[in-house]
Amino acid sequence: MSECIVITSGKGGVGKTTSTANLGVALALMGKKVAVVDADIGLRNLDVILGLENRIVYDLVHVIEGECRLKQALIKDKRVEGLFLLPAAQTRDKNAVSPENMRDLVKQLKEDFDYILIDCPAGIEQGFKNSIAGADRAIIVTTPEVSALRDADRIIGLCEAAELPEPMLIVNRFRAKLVKRGDMLNKEDILDILAIPLIGMVPDHEDVIVTANRGYPAAFDDKSVVGEAYRRIARRITGETDVPFVATEEPDTMWTVMKRWMGFSKEVAS
Amino acid sequence: MMNLIDRFFSRTTGGSKEDAKSRLKILLVHDQVDLTPSQMDAMRAEILAVVARYAEIEPTKVDLRLERSDDGINLVSSVAVRRVNARMAVG
Repeated sequence: MSECIVITSGKGGVGKTTSTANLGVALALMGKKVAVVDADIGLRNLDVILGLENRIVYDLVHVIEGECRLKQALIKDKRVEGLFLLPAAQTRDKNAVSPENMRDLVKQLKEDFDYILIDCPAGIEQGFKNSIAGADRAIIVTTPEVSALRDADRIIGLCEAAELPEPMLIVNRFRAKLVKRGDMLNKEDILDILAIPLIGMVPDHEDVIVTANRGYPAAFDDKSVVGEAYRRIARRITGETDVPFVATEEPDTMWTVMKRWMGFSKEVAS
Repeated sequence: MMNLIDRFFSRTTGGSKEDAKSRLKILLVHDQVDLTPSQMDAMRAEILAVVARYAEIEPTKVDLRLERSDDGINLVSSVAVRRVNARMAVG
């Protein structure tokens, strides 16, 4: 069975592309065959986050306009078996693609892949409509902030209007310390407000910046807490239930070190 | 000096998530309802005018707002009544 999932958010800058890249890597590490598709025509980024920017020859618009075959445009990630990127066009705009084009493309990809992850552009215009056209379901990325949650709520409504099944939520840039002192909405607050199921929480961690600098998603790194959060989301995507939520790493203070020595478990924020 | 002590002992941070939560709840309802604040005010004034024909209300103790629940959007209202007088009701 093959499934197409759109990664969307409404608001820009909340981590759609990072999430798409990491989930692509994590699913491929599980042995799945995955195509990640950058649907942000004119502002491509997924190639950079994956560190594949130097290998682009053809892009999504070339495929749609028949200038190349789909297989020629797919870039194979050499670090993991089964991961392929279909880059967005950089010099065209979103009107070069229609929802029908995307449906056809996804249909074609489904012949060869277990999972197709679509990195949706910010906004609710053409790019969003294109991105959800071929999707079987949506994952909404948000951060624990008023503006991002407001946009997420709008996207939930639009997914419903498009007759997609109930979307699932990734809460990104979670900061346990701020939650603890009451300066950040916690998991319960967010789920209470958005009322959709949670598929994962990703801590706000410098790993994201370091890995983006290197073009080497955190999901490749066994020791990364961010990578671990995404690997667990990937397991939930494949239908595994009872995957515990990742313990959010806090910087070591004398107190947390002492608590650990004394045998208290590390704080679990999610 | 007090300011400094205040800042030291009770930090200005802490608890801002309650602000976020209450703002969001109002925001999301209004995004969905698509009524402007002035339309909301007009609705409120009209509803109160109707109530006032039947009961003497306490204008400072009127709460009328839209709330989201699992079933959808509810118009929730609490109006303090000074006195209900049958003769006030006009046919």
